[in-house]
Amino acid sequence: MTRMDEILDRVAAIQPLPDTVMKLMNVINDPKSTIEDIIEVIRYDQAVTTQMLRICNSAYFAVSREIDSLNDAIRMLGTMKILQLVMAVHSNSLLANRQSGYGLEPGILWKHSVGVAITATWFAEKIHYANANLAFTAGLLHDVGKTILNEYVGKDFAEIVRRVNEDNLSFCEAEHAVLGFSHEEIGAKVAEKWQVPEHITRCIRHHHDPRPLTPPDPLVDAVYLANCVCLLLGIGLGADGLSYRADHEIMERYGLRESDLEIAGTQMMLELKRVMQMYAAPGQPQEPMLVTG
Amino acid sequence: MDLVVDIADFQVSADPRADLVTYSLGSCVGVSIWDPEAKVGGMIHYMLPESAISPEKAKLNPAMFGDTGIPALFRAAYQLGAIKKRLIVKVAGGSSLLDDNGTFNIGKRNYILLRKIFWKNGILIDSEDVGGAVSRTMRLCIGSGRVSIKSRNREVEL
Repeated sequence: MTRMDEILDRVAAIQPLPDTVMKLMNVINDPKSTIEDIIEVIRYDQAVTTQMLRICNSAYFAVSREIDSLNDAIRMLGTMKILQLVMAVHSNSLLANRQSGYGLEPGILWKHSVGVAITATWFAEKIHYANANLAFTAGLLHDVGKTILNEYVGKDFAEIVRRVNEDNLSFCEAEHAVLGFSHEEIGAKVAEKWQVPEHITRCIRHHHDPRPLTPPDPLVDAVYLANCVCLLLGIGLGADGLSYRADHEIMERYGLRESDLEIAGTQMMLELKRVMQMYAAPGQPQEPMLVTG
Repeated sequence: MDLVVDIADFQVSADPRADLVTYSLGSCVGVSIWDPEAKVGGMIHYMLPESAISPEKAKLNPAMFGDTGIPALFRAAYQLGAIKKRLIVKVAGGSSLLDDNGTFNIGKRNYILLRKIFWKNGILIDSEDVGGAVSRTMRLCIGSGRVSIKSRNREVEL
Protein backbone atom coordinates (compact mmCIF):
# COMPACT_ATOMS: atom_id res chain seq x y z
CA MET A 1 0.00 0.00 0.00
CA THR A 2 1.44 3.38 -0.95
CA ARG A 3 1.64 6.30 1.38
CA MET A 4 -1.11 8.07 -0.56
CA ASP A 5 -3.44 5.06 -0.31
CA GLU A 6 -2.81 4.88 3.41
CA ILE A 7 -3.77 8.49 3.86
CA LEU A 8 -6.80 8.13 1.59
CA ASP A 9 -7.97 5.21 3.69
CA ARG A 10 -7.78 7.30 6.80
CA VAL A 11 -9.44 10.25 5.09
CA ALA A 12 -12.46 8.05 4.45
CA ALA A 13 -13.05 8.23 8.17
CA ILE A 14 -13.06 12.01 8.35
CA GLN A 15 -16.14 14.07 7.67
CA PRO A 16 -16.85 14.33 3.94
CA LEU A 17 -18.22 17.46 2.32
CA PRO A 18 -21.56 18.38 3.86
CA ASP A 19 -24.65 17.29 1.99
CA THR A 20 -25.66 20.87 1.12
CA VAL A 21 -22.33 21.51 -0.56
CA MET A 22 -22.58 18.34 -2.63
CA LYS A 23 -26.12 19.10 -3.75
CA LEU A 24 -25.32 22.72 -4.42
CA MET A 25 -22.29 21.88 -6.52
CA ASN A 26 -24.48 19.76 -8.74
CA VAL A 27 -26.99 22.59 -9.04
CA ILE A 28 -24.26 25.07 -9.92
CA ASN A 29 -22.82 22.64 -12.41
CA ASP A 30 -26.09 22.55 -14.32
CA PRO A 31 -26.57 25.67 -16.46
CA LYS A 32 -30.35 25.09 -16.48
CA SER A 33 -30.66 25.56 -12.72
CA THR A 34 -32.87 28.35 -11.39
CA ILE A 35 -32.96 30.31 -8.15
CA GLU A 36 -35.78 28.03 -7.01
CA ASP A 37 -33.49 25.02 -7.36
CA ILE A 38 -30.97 26.75 -5.16
CA ILE A 39 -33.58 27.62 -2.53
CA GLU A 40 -34.68 24.02 -2.53
CA VAL A 41 -31.16 22.93 -1.66
CA ILE A 42 -30.41 25.39 1.11
CA ARG A 43 -33.77 25.82 2.84
CA TYR A 44 -33.21 22.65 4.83
CA ASP A 45 -29.77 23.65 5.95
CA GLN A 46 -30.04 25.31 9.30
CA ALA A 47 -26.45 26.53 9.49
CA VAL A 48 -26.64 28.26 6.14
CA THR A 49 -30.05 29.80 6.77
CA THR A 50 -28.97 31.16 10.15
CA GLN A 51 -25.78 32.57 8.75
CA MET A 52 -27.53 34.12 5.78
CA LEU A 53 -30.06 35.95 7.92
CA ARG A 54 -27.33 37.08 10.28
CA ILE A 55 -25.34 38.54 7.42
CA CYS A 56 -28.34 40.21 5.78
CA ASN A 57 -29.08 41.95 9.05
CA SER A 58 -25.47 42.91 9.71
CA ALA A 59 -24.04 46.38 9.42
CA TYR A 60 -22.52 45.40 6.10
CA PHE A 61 -25.87 45.70 4.35
CA ALA A 62 -27.33 48.40 6.56
CA VAL A 63 -30.97 47.51 5.84
CA SER A 64 -33.71 49.49 7.50
CA ARG A 65 -35.98 46.57 8.29
CA GLU A 66 -35.28 43.14 9.63
CA ILE A 67 -34.80 40.42 7.04
CA ASP A 68 -36.39 37.31 8.46
CA SER A 69 -37.12 34.97 5.60
CA LEU A 70 -34.88 33.03 3.31
CA ASN A 71 -36.75 34.33 0.28
CA ASP A 72 -36.10 37.94 1.28
CA ALA A 73 -32.49 37.15 1.98
CA ILE A 74 -32.03 35.50 -1.36
CA ARG A 75 -33.65 38.37 -3.21
CA MET A 76 -31.41 40.79 -1.39
CA LEU A 77 -28.14 38.98 -1.81
CA GLY A 78 -28.59 37.62 -5.32
CA THR A 79 -27.70 34.14 -6.51
CA MET A 80 -24.00 34.69 -6.72
CA LYS A 81 -23.68 35.85 -3.12
CA ILE A 82 -25.82 32.96 -1.91
CA LEU A 83 -23.58 30.44 -3.55
CA GLN A 84 -20.55 32.13 -2.10
CA LEU A 85 -22.11 32.15 1.31
CA VAL A 86 -23.10 28.51 1.34
CA MET A 87 -19.70 27.45 0.14
CA ALA A 88 -18.03 29.70 2.67
CA VAL A 89 -20.14 28.49 5.60
CA HIS A 90 -19.34 24.89 4.93
CA SER A 91 -15.83 25.13 3.61
CA ASN A 92 -14.75 27.03 6.68
CA SER A 93 -15.22 24.01 8.89
CA LEU A 94 -13.35 21.99 6.30
CA LEU A 95 -10.50 24.41 5.76
CA ALA A 96 -10.14 25.85 9.24
CA ASN A 97 -7.35 23.55 10.27
CA ARG A 98 -6.71 23.11 13.94
CA GLN A 99 -3.09 22.02 13.76
CA SER A 100 -0.35 23.94 12.09
CA GLY A 101 1.78 20.94 11.19
CA TYR A 102 1.86 21.83 7.51
CA GLY A 103 3.10 25.33 8.05
CA LEU A 104 -0.38 26.77 8.05
CA GLU A 105 -1.66 28.99 10.81
CA PRO A 106 -5.29 28.33 11.74
CA GLY A 107 -7.67 30.24 9.48
CA ILE A 108 -4.96 31.05 6.91
CA LEU A 109 -6.00 28.41 4.42
CA TRP A 110 -9.60 29.52 4.55
CA LYS A 111 -8.60 33.12 3.87
CA HIS A 112 -6.41 32.03 0.96
CA SER A 113 -9.21 29.86 -0.42
CA VAL A 114 -11.79 32.65 -0.25
CA GLY A 115 -9.30 35.00 -1.94
CA VAL A 116 -8.72 32.49 -4.75
CA ALA A 117 -12.48 31.90 -5.06
CA ILE A 118 -13.15 35.63 -5.49
CA THR A 119 -10.28 36.10 -7.94
CA ALA A 120 -11.12 32.97 -9.94
CA THR A 121 -14.63 34.33 -10.41
CA TRP A 122 -13.13 37.60 -11.68
CA PHE A 123 -10.89 35.77 -14.17
CA ALA A 124 -13.72 33.48 -15.30
CA GLU A 125 -15.81 36.54 -16.13
CA LYS A 126 -12.85 38.27 -17.75
CA ILE A 127 -12.19 35.37 -20.11
CA HIS A 128 -15.93 34.92 -20.74
CA TYR A 129 -16.18 31.51 -19.16
CA ALA A 130 -19.84 30.51 -19.26
CA ASN A 131 -20.29 29.47 -15.63
CA ALA A 132 -18.45 31.87 -13.35
CA ASN A 133 -20.20 30.48 -10.25
CA LEU A 134 -18.30 27.28 -10.73
CA ALA A 135 -15.04 29.20 -10.52
CA PHE A 136 -15.92 30.36 -7.03
CA THR A 137 -16.45 26.82 -5.81
CA ALA A 138 -13.36 25.53 -7.57
CA GLY A 139 -11.31 28.33 -6.04
CA LEU A 140 -12.62 27.59 -2.61
CA LEU A 141 -11.74 23.91 -2.82
CA HIS A 142 -8.48 24.04 -4.81
CA ASP A 143 -6.20 23.51 -1.79
CA VAL A 144 -8.27 20.88 -0.03
CA GLY A 145 -5.26 18.57 -0.32
CA LYS A 146 -3.33 20.80 2.04
CA THR A 147 -5.95 20.30 4.73
CA ILE A 148 -5.50 16.58 4.38
CA LEU A 149 -1.72 16.77 4.45
CA ASN A 150 -1.86 19.15 7.38
CA GLU A 151 -3.63 16.44 9.35
CA TYR A 152 -1.61 13.45 8.23
CA VAL A 153 1.91 14.36 7.18
CA GLY A 154 2.68 17.41 9.26
CA LYS A 155 5.99 15.95 10.37
CA ASP A 156 7.34 15.78 6.80
CA PHE A 157 6.78 19.46 6.32
CA ALA A 158 10.20 20.56 7.58
CA GLU A 159 11.90 18.23 5.10
CA ILE A 160 9.76 19.54 2.22
CA VAL A 161 10.69 23.11 3.08
CA ARG A 162 14.35 22.11 3.32
CA ARG A 163 14.23 20.65 -0.20
CA VAL A 164 12.62 23.85 -1.49
CA ASN A 165 15.36 25.96 0.09
CA GLU A 166 18.39 23.83 -0.64
CA ASP A 167 17.54 22.07 -3.88
CA ASN A 168 15.74 24.96 -5.53
CA LEU A 169 12.58 22.92 -6.08
CA SER A 170 9.07 24.26 -6.32
CA PHE A 171 6.88 23.30 -3.41
CA CYS A 172 5.00 20.68 -5.46
CA GLU A 173 8.27 19.18 -6.69
CA ALA A 174 9.51 18.98 -3.13
CA GLU A 175 6.27 17.31 -2.02
CA HIS A 176 6.80 14.75 -4.75
CA ALA A 177 10.38 14.17 -3.70
CA VAL A 178 9.51 13.68 -0.03
CA LEU A 179 6.00 12.18 -0.05
CA GLY A 180 5.78 10.73 -3.56
CA PHE A 181 2.77 12.90 -4.40
CA SER A 182 1.68 16.53 -4.15
CA HIS A 183 -1.18 18.29 -2.35
CA GLU A 184 -2.83 18.70 -5.75
CA GLU A 185 -2.94 14.95 -6.37
CA ILE A 186 -4.17 13.93 -2.97
CA GLY A 187 -6.72 16.76 -3.02
CA ALA A 188 -8.08 15.53 -6.34
CA LYS A 189 -8.24 11.93 -5.10
CA VAL A 190 -10.16 12.98 -2.03
CA ALA A 191 -12.50 15.11 -4.15
CA GLU A 192 -13.16 12.09 -6.36
CA LYS A 193 -13.96 10.07 -3.31
CA TRP A 194 -16.42 12.75 -2.23
CA GLN A 195 -17.90 12.72 -5.73
CA VAL A 196 -17.16 16.38 -6.31
CA PRO A 197 -18.08 17.27 -9.94
CA GLU A 198 -15.29 16.52 -12.37
CA HIS A 199 -14.84 20.14 -13.49
CA ILE A 200 -13.86 21.08 -9.98
CA THR A 201 -11.72 18.03 -9.33
CA ARG A 202 -9.72 18.93 -12.42
CA CYS A 203 -9.03 22.38 -10.97
CA ILE A 204 -7.84 20.82 -7.72
CA ARG A 205 -5.51 18.50 -9.64
CA HIS A 206 -3.96 21.11 -11.95
CA HIS A 207 -4.11 24.39 -10.08
CA HIS A 208 -0.32 24.77 -10.13
CA ASP A 209 0.24 23.56 -13.66
CA PRO A 210 -2.61 23.69 -16.17
CA ARG A 211 -0.31 23.08 -19.15
CA PRO A 212 -0.71 19.30 -19.52
CA LEU A 213 -4.42 19.76 -20.25
CA THR A 214 -5.31 19.53 -23.92
CA PRO A 215 -7.48 21.20 -24.92
CA PRO A 216 -6.91 23.89 -22.32
CA ASP A 217 -9.57 24.14 -19.61
CA PRO A 218 -10.51 27.79 -18.98
CA LEU A 219 -11.87 26.97 -15.53
CA VAL A 220 -8.53 25.47 -14.48
CA ASP A 221 -6.74 28.45 -16.01
CA ALA A 222 -8.93 30.86 -14.04
CA VAL A 223 -8.15 29.05 -10.78
CA TYR A 224 -4.45 28.91 -11.70
CA LEU A 225 -4.24 32.66 -12.36
CA ALA A 226 -6.29 33.44 -9.26
CA ASN A 227 -3.92 31.36 -7.16
CA CYS A 228 -0.92 33.20 -8.64
CA VAL A 229 -2.46 36.57 -7.78
CA CYS A 230 -3.26 35.51 -4.21
CA LEU A 231 0.22 34.06 -3.66
CA LEU A 232 1.84 37.20 -5.03
CA LEU A 233 -0.26 39.43 -2.83
CA GLY A 234 0.41 37.26 0.19
CA ILE A 235 -3.19 36.21 0.77
CA GLY A 236 -2.92 33.43 3.27
CA LEU A 237 0.66 32.42 2.57
CA GLY A 238 2.01 29.47 4.53
CA ALA A 239 5.62 28.54 5.06
CA ASP A 240 5.62 27.39 1.41
CA GLY A 241 5.70 31.08 0.50
CA LEU A 242 5.76 31.74 -3.23
CA SER A 243 7.71 28.63 -4.20
CA TYR A 244 5.50 27.76 -7.14
CA ARG A 245 6.23 27.95 -10.83
CA ALA A 246 4.71 30.76 -12.86
CA ASP A 247 3.75 30.19 -16.46
CA HIS A 248 3.31 33.08 -18.87
CA GLU A 249 1.65 30.86 -21.49
CA ILE A 250 -1.61 30.88 -19.57
CA MET A 251 -1.71 34.68 -19.64
CA GLU A 252 -0.97 34.78 -23.34
CA ARG A 253 -3.71 32.27 -24.04
CA TYR A 254 -6.28 34.94 -23.17
CA GLY A 255 -4.31 38.04 -24.11
CA LEU A 256 -4.05 39.01 -20.45
CA ARG A 257 -1.46 41.50 -19.27
CA GLU A 258 0.17 42.16 -15.95
CA SER A 259 -2.18 45.08 -15.42
CA ASP A 260 -5.06 42.58 -15.49
CA LEU A 261 -3.43 40.69 -12.62
CA GLU A 262 -3.12 43.95 -10.72
CA ILE A 263 -6.73 44.94 -11.28
CA ALA A 264 -7.87 41.45 -10.27
CA GLY A 265 -5.76 41.85 -7.13
CA THR A 266 -7.24 45.18 -6.11
CA GLN A 267 -10.80 43.94 -6.68
CA MET A 268 -10.13 40.80 -4.71
CA MET A 269 -8.56 42.69 -1.84
CA LEU A 270 -11.56 44.96 -1.35
CA GLU A 271 -14.03 42.08 -1.64
CA LEU A 272 -11.96 39.88 0.69
CA LYS A 273 -11.82 42.62 3.32
CA ARG A 274 -15.62 42.84 3.17
CA VAL A 275 -15.98 39.07 3.52
CA MET A 276 -13.53 38.94 6.42
CA GLN A 277 -15.39 41.76 8.18
CA MET A 278 -18.65 39.94 7.62
CA TYR A 279 -17.32 36.84 9.31
CA ALA A 280 -15.24 38.48 12.01
CA ALA A 281 -16.47 37.38 15.41
CA PRO A 282 -16.80 40.19 17.97
CA GLY A 283 -13.52 40.76 19.77
CA GLN A 284 -11.50 38.90 17.17
CA PRO A 285 -10.92 41.43 14.42
CA GLN A 286 -7.57 39.98 13.35
CA GLU A 287 -8.46 36.32 13.07
CA PRO A 288 -11.64 35.98 11.08
CA MET A 289 -13.37 32.79 12.04
CA LEU A 290 -16.82 31.84 10.97
CA VAL A 291 -19.53 31.08 13.48
CA THR A 292 -21.25 28.08 11.99
CA GLY A 293 -24.78 27.80 13.33
CA MET B 1 1.41 45.57 22.26
CA ASP B 2 1.17 44.65 18.59
CA LEU B 3 -0.37 47.09 16.12
CA VAL B 4 -1.05 45.06 13.00
CA VAL B 5 -0.44 46.77 9.69
CA ASP B 6 -2.85 45.12 7.30
CA ILE B 7 -2.17 44.66 3.61
CA ALA B 8 -2.85 47.95 1.78
CA ASP B 9 -2.54 49.84 5.04
CA PHE B 10 -0.06 51.92 7.02
CA GLN B 11 0.29 52.86 10.67
CA VAL B 12 2.41 55.29 12.66
CA SER B 13 2.98 55.36 16.38
CA ALA B 14 4.86 57.24 19.09
CA ASP B 15 4.05 54.69 21.79
CA PRO B 16 7.34 53.17 23.02
CA ARG B 17 5.51 50.00 24.13
CA ALA B 18 4.08 49.37 20.67
CA ASP B 19 5.33 47.03 17.96
CA LEU B 20 4.19 47.61 14.39
CA VAL B 21 3.92 44.27 12.64
CA THR B 22 2.88 43.19 9.17
CA TYR B 23 2.37 39.60 8.04
CA SER B 24 2.53 37.74 4.77
CA LEU B 25 4.64 40.05 2.63
CA GLY B 26 4.85 38.29 -0.74
CA SER B 27 5.41 40.50 -3.73
CA CYS B 28 4.08 43.36 -1.63
CA VAL B 29 6.63 45.65 -0.02
CA GLY B 30 6.89 46.63 3.64
CA VAL B 31 8.70 49.82 4.58
CA SER B 32 9.51 50.71 8.16
CA ILE B 33 10.66 54.18 9.17
CA TRP B 34 11.88 55.25 12.61
CA ASP B 35 13.13 58.46 14.11
CA PRO B 36 15.52 57.64 17.00
CA GLU B 37 15.19 61.06 18.63
CA ALA B 38 11.44 61.55 18.42
CA LYS B 39 10.93 57.80 19.00
CA VAL B 40 8.33 57.83 16.28
CA GLY B 41 7.92 55.00 13.81
CA GLY B 42 5.73 53.92 10.95
CA MET B 43 5.17 51.01 8.62
CA ILE B 44 3.37 50.46 5.32
CA HIS B 45 2.42 47.25 3.50
CA TYR B 46 1.62 48.26 -0.07
CA MET B 47 0.40 45.87 -2.76
CA LEU B 48 1.13 47.41 -6.12
CA PRO B 49 3.47 50.04 -7.53
CA GLU B 50 1.33 52.58 -9.31
CA SER B 51 -2.08 54.02 -8.57
CA ALA B 52 -2.63 54.84 -12.26
CA ILE B 53 -4.36 51.46 -12.75
CA SER B 54 -7.13 52.55 -10.40
CA PRO B 55 -7.08 56.18 -9.21
CA GLU B 56 -10.47 55.87 -7.52
CA LYS B 57 -9.25 52.96 -5.36
CA ALA B 58 -6.11 54.92 -4.53
CA LYS B 59 -8.27 57.77 -3.27
CA LEU B 60 -10.00 55.49 -0.78
CA ASN B 61 -6.97 53.28 -0.02
CA PRO B 62 -3.77 55.26 -0.65
CA ALA B 63 -1.70 52.53 1.02
CA MET B 64 -2.72 50.05 -1.66
CA PHE B 65 -0.15 51.61 -4.01
CA GLY B 66 3.46 52.60 -3.46
CA ASP B 67 3.25 55.95 -5.22
CA THR B 68 0.38 57.17 -3.06
CA GLY B 69 1.09 55.18 0.11
CA ILE B 70 4.77 55.95 0.73
CA PRO B 71 4.31 59.75 0.78
CA ALA B 72 1.27 59.28 3.02
CA LEU B 73 3.31 57.19 5.47
CA PHE B 74 6.08 59.80 5.70
CA ARG B 75 3.58 62.64 6.12
CA ALA B 76 1.83 60.81 8.96
CA ALA B 77 5.17 60.25 10.73
CA TYR B 78 6.10 63.94 10.35
CA GLN B 79 2.83 64.83 12.02
CA LEU B 80 3.90 62.84 15.08
CA GLY B 81 7.18 64.77 15.19
CA ALA B 82 9.49 62.67 13.02
CA ILE B 83 12.06 64.53 10.93
CA LYS B 84 13.05 63.27 7.48
CA LYS B 85 16.83 63.45 7.85
CA ARG B 86 16.78 61.44 11.06
CA LEU B 87 14.62 58.61 9.70
CA ILE B 88 16.06 55.13 9.54
CA VAL B 89 14.41 53.34 6.63
CA LYS B 90 14.23 49.55 6.24
CA VAL B 91 12.58 47.57 3.48
CA ALA B 92 11.30 43.98 3.12
CA GLY B 93 9.29 41.96 0.61
CA GLY B 94 9.15 42.15 -3.16
CA SER B 95 9.16 38.36 -3.60
CA SER B 96 8.33 36.55 -6.83
CA LEU B 97 6.95 33.24 -7.93
CA LEU B 98 9.51 30.89 -9.52
CA ASP B 99 9.24 32.61 -12.86
CA ASP B 100 11.85 32.26 -15.60
CA ASN B 101 10.09 34.68 -17.89
CA GLY B 102 9.43 37.44 -15.41
CA THR B 103 5.79 37.70 -16.41
CA PHE B 104 4.51 37.94 -12.89
CA ASN B 105 6.97 40.54 -11.69
CA ILE B 106 4.83 42.66 -9.39
CA GLY B 107 7.44 42.21 -6.65
CA LYS B 108 10.28 43.59 -8.71
CA ARG B 109 8.19 46.52 -9.92
CA ASN B 110 7.10 47.30 -6.39
CA TYR B 111 10.75 47.52 -5.37
CA ILE B 112 11.87 49.60 -8.37
CA LEU B 113 9.09 52.11 -7.69
CA LEU B 114 10.30 52.45 -4.12
CA ARG B 115 13.89 53.10 -5.19
CA LYS B 116 12.68 55.71 -7.64
CA ILE B 117 10.65 57.59 -5.03
CA PHE B 118 13.49 57.41 -2.49
CA TRP B 119 16.07 58.56 -5.02
CA LYS B 120 13.97 61.57 -6.01
CA ASN B 121 13.50 62.52 -2.38
CA GLY B 122 17.03 61.87 -1.18
CA ILE B 123 16.08 59.03 1.16
CA LEU B 124 18.57 56.24 1.83
CA ILE B 125 17.65 52.66 2.67
CA ASP B 126 19.48 51.59 5.82
CA SER B 127 18.97 47.87 5.27
CA GLU B 128 16.70 45.57 3.34
CA ASP B 129 15.62 41.98 2.83
CA VAL B 130 13.97 41.72 -0.58
CA GLY B 131 13.34 39.25 -3.40
CA GLY B 132 13.33 35.47 -3.46
CA ALA B 133 10.19 33.37 -3.25
CA VAL B 134 9.54 33.66 0.47
CA SER B 135 6.81 35.13 2.61
CA ARG B 136 8.00 37.58 5.27
CA THR B 137 6.75 39.07 8.51
CA MET B 138 8.19 42.48 9.41
CA ARG B 139 8.22 43.88 12.94
CA LEU B 140 9.30 47.32 14.19
CA CYS B 141 9.67 48.01 17.88
CA ILE B 142 8.84 51.70 18.40
CA GLY B 143 10.77 51.89 21.68
CA SER B 144 14.07 50.55 20.35
CA GLY B 145 13.78 50.95 16.58
CA ARG B 146 14.68 47.29 16.23
CA VAL B 147 13.37 45.72 13.02
CA SER B 148 13.14 41.98 12.58
CA ILE B 149 12.17 39.84 9.63
CA LYS B 150 10.69 36.40 10.01
CA SER B 151 10.57 34.06 7.06
CA ARG B 152 10.42 30.27 6.89
CA ASN B 153 10.40 30.10 10.68
CA ARG B 154 13.70 31.96 11.00
CA GLU B 155 13.82 35.41 12.55
CA VAL B 156 16.67 37.80 11.81
CA GLU B 157 17.37 41.38 12.73
CA LEU B 158 17.43 43.82 9.84
